[in-house]
Amino acid sequence: MALPQFSPGVPVPAQSSLKGSSLIDPQALMSIKSLELRAKHVVEGFWNGLHRSPYHGFSVEFTEYRQYSPGDDLRYLDWQLYARTDRYYIKKFEDETNLRCHLLVDNSRSMHYGSAGYTKAEYGNTLAATLSYFLYQQGDAIGLLTFDEQVRNYLPARHRTGHLRQLMLALESPAAGTATDLSGPLKRILELVTKRGMLVLVTDLLAPIETLHKNLSGLTASGHEVALFQVLDPVELHFTFEKAVVFRDVESGRDLFIEPRDIRKEYLAKLEAHNAAAKKMCHELGISFHQLSTDRPLELVLFDFLRSRMHRSKTKRRNMSN
Amino acid sequence: MSFLAPLFLFGALAISAPIIFHLIRRTSRDRVPFSSLMFLRATIPRVTRQSRLENILLLLLRCLILLLLAFGFARPFVQKPILPDQNASQLKKIVLLVDTSASMRRENLWATALDRARSVLANIAVSDIVSIATFDRTVRQLVTFDEWSAMTPENRVPLSLQRLEAIKPGWFSTDMASALITTAELFDDNPTQDHLYGTRRIVLISDLQEGSKTAGLQGYEWPRGIECVAEAVPVIRPSNAGFQVVIDAEGALQLSTNTPPRLRVINSGDSVSDQFQVQWVEPSASTNLNVYVPPGSSRVLSAPALAGGGFGERLVLNGDSADFDNTVYYVPQKAETVPVIYIGNEDQIDADQPLYYLKRAFQQTRRHVVTVFQHAVSDELPSSETDVAKLIIVTDVLPDSQASRIRMFLESGSTVLFVLRSVESAATLGALLNTAPLSASEIASKRYAMFGEIHFEHPLFAPFADPRFSDFTKIHFWKHRQVEIGDRPNVKTLAAFDDGSPALIEASVGKGTLLALTSSWHPSDSQLALSSKFVPLLYSILDQATGLKSHRFQYWVGDNVVLSDTNAVQSATIRKPDGTEIQSGPGGEFSETDLPGIYTVLSAGQPWRFAVNIDPAESQTAPLVAEDLERFGVPFPKEKANVKTARSEEKKTEQHATELESQQKLWRWIILIAVIAVAFETVFAGWLNRRTIAAS
Repeated sequence: MALPQFSPGVPVPAQSSLKGSSLIDPQALMSIKSLELRAKHVVEGFWNGLHRSPYHGFSVEFTEYRQYSPGDDLRYLDWQLYARTDRYYIKKFEDETNLRCHLLVDNSRSMHYGSAGYTKAEYGNTLAATLSYFLYQQGDAIGLLTFDEQVRNYLPARHRTGHLRQLMLALESPAAGTATDLSGPLKRILELVTKRGMLVLVTDLLAPIETLHKNLSGLTASGHEVALFQVLDPVELHFTFEKAVVFRDVESGRDLFIEPRDIRKEYLAKLEAHNAAAKKMCHELGISFHQLSTDRPLELVLFDFLRSRMHRSKTKRRNMSN
Repeated sequence: MSFLAPLFLFGALAISAPIIFHLIRRTSRDRVPFSSLMFLRATIPRVTRQSRLENILLLLLRCLILLLLAFGFARPFVQKPILPDQNASQLKKIVLLVDTSASMRRENLWATALDRARSVLANIAVSDIVSIATFDRTVRQLVTFDEWSAMTPENRVPLSLQRLEAIKPGWFSTDMASALITTAELFDDNPTQDHLYGTRRIVLISDLQEGSKTAGLQGYEWPRGIECVAEAVPVIRPSNAGFQVVIDAEGALQLSTNTPPRLRVINSGDSVSDQFQVQWVEPSASTNLNVYVPPGSSRVLSAPALAGGGFGERLVLNGDSADFDNTVYYVPQKAETVPVIYIGNEDQIDADQPLYYLKRAFQQTRRHVVTVFQHAVSDELPSSETDVAKLIIVTDVLPDSQASRIRMFLESGSTVLFVLRSVESAATLGALLNTAPLSASEIASKRYAMFGEIHFEHPLFAPFADPRFSDFTKIHFWKHRQVEIGDRPNVKTLAAFDDGSPALIEASVGKGTLLALTSSWHPSDSQLALSSKFVPLLYSILDQATGLKSHRFQYWVGDNVVLSDTNAVQSATIRKPDGTEIQSGPGGEFSETDLPGIYTVLSAGQPWRFAVNIDPAESQTAPLVAEDLERFGVPFPKEKANVKTARSEEKKTEQHATELESQQKLWRWIILIAVIAVAFETVFAGWLNRRTIAAS
């Protein structure tokens, strides 16, 4: 079974339809203790915003013909073509197995920063939970890999009863790591996930871009479809500090006396450059890049994701037909 | 207001630190966690004008603490003028130490020494404290510090001089080391006030002769701050020679009394003459014996004989200008005659009889001549012998009349050694003990007997108490007799045989002592006469009976004469060379040998004489080099004093300042205020902090 929203026939809901009172404020959302409940709220809210039912039929997608060779299954012989051209061709179809999606969630210390009463990690976990709930609803296989400087939890992609529950528990488990190191976990996922599928990376991306490039290119090279969600706190994005204060790096514990007024511009410029570099890298590698502020409602994030996903499918198909 | 350590005032500059800190914008001490510092860099704190106004009281408090600390460490004190009398560095504590040894008797040395003392005392300031002492072998304080302080200032010098002038040099030797150490310790008598005195000085007025004993300073750590100024008394004619009788080593045999005494003539290193003559002058003059002694060396020679033979009592050395040490007194060594009466019938040349061995045991020595008078058992004992003999040895059975005579002899205080040669002798023993006739039995076992138990604590066996000499097992007794004496309070067993029977019994009879040996020393009875213990044992008995001690006949001036060692005299009258008679002290000690000459001991027994001479070290009159004393750590700052005068003013002011500061101790109060300010600052800053936190 394929996902309806990925099919060319699914109407794209207008973004305006998701705005307004139907959106759940992330702060209110985070006050719900159960991660599963949060995901359910977001996904169902998202459904409510759609004008049409997403439960729509889907047919087998034909991809190409291949000349018959003895031993091939006669069931797939295109008799109509044979009638027209008098040649034996075997019809080949697109892989119709369910989507295998792996969520790679960063649980490092830097993700545990938050200014709005909840941390980036909580936001990221909710995002991951929402996506998994959504995909589970579609009957797709979902896997999870949480990491900091090393892989902490790994659940292989499955679709079976209780798997979602297990996944939620894994997401809720407390983080123990310190630093962010994407290279290790990304290498690991390459070893673990052999079948091509989708990888959704949720991280704050507060690590040097150069090393990231190398590892992500490995993922895309092995045929995975990669989506990257960069989760950042509004304070990180705007650096709204006023008082001179000693800043402590939550990852390294290093102290630094900062006069925010002197350094804000420089900080924002550096952050901008960093994000731009990340974006550029993703573009080069064919990774869909989403920068999220933790105050952004998750329905919108889901919507953005689906829209970009659909847009990407269209582009891909167009490229193929050309 | 002055400061002892003004450099600490620079510490006040530290107040700039809190001012700067207050100008810097106050930053929260809290740490703000942030996800990553990768886009941040450290910035310099900004200086604002705002905060100066905010915490002005705190700033003032902190500045005050720093100022107080700097002020306190600078040790402030209130300056007071230097009063001449209170100036510590000018106050002197002086000991005037004047030599009164025999060498100071030369020519007019003593007069010169007194002149020196006068000039020293004339320069004493009113504030100075002086003590006057003389020394030779010992130190005698004529005026103590307390006495000096107690005297009125105008009387101090005359009265002290009066006491000093009353002193004349004696005949004693010079012990410079002990004198200097004793004097240095006089300064420690009152340590609480000693810090008030800038100078502590010993002024030594002496001829500083070579023979002064200085070696004692070697192990002494000279106290800091005590200086020594040597006022050497100049000698007009430094030449000197002296001589002494060489005392023979103890126990050396001198069989003939005609052996001339040996003399040692010493010529001082600074002497100008080298030819001297030795001559007896008492009782009659003898011929001169020429002797050549180069300066700085000595010669040993035998004294010349008198014209009529024999030796005199006083020898003089001619040819030497300094005559204080040119006379030597001599008392010839005389062997003491110790009579012993032997009662026994045997022949003295019979080697199987006890007398033969007894006579050979008592050999003549340099100190004693033991004469054994032999008598048969029935012989009348001549009174000439019984009057002097203190020991009677009986080896045979005595007739009753003789036994009663011996018993009387015993009761009068003599000692009788009774040797039981046979069982029959027991009756005589009973008679001597004045008891019923005793019975005895002959013990002649096949095995020999030996001493089983000996009371080494008894004076008789005390010489053998040392484990090296206490082995009597080599003496075998072939025969001995067992006497039934029974338990008597006056009878003690000094030694017993290994079968338990008494071997040597001591019984007190009247004033005397009866010793009974139940065997004998001749070969048919035992091996005692042949053993190495025989002679010491006989001498031990003789010593107990007669108080056999040896005389010393030569002493140095100042020596202690122990009379109790001489003929057991406990107390005696001693006639000094100047004719005065002195009773010896308790324990028979006589210490007033302060004159050279011949002393006579008029004891209950036979009077005897001994000679006292000047210590030969006094004859070494070559001048002592002051460096010798400096070598031992005694400082002689004669020259340094002048060099230091330029710096003395500065030092004086410094000392005065130190003293004032130590008296006032203002720093304590300042530090106390600073501590209070710190406490207040802590409380105030804490309160401010809490208020800021609450406000934020």
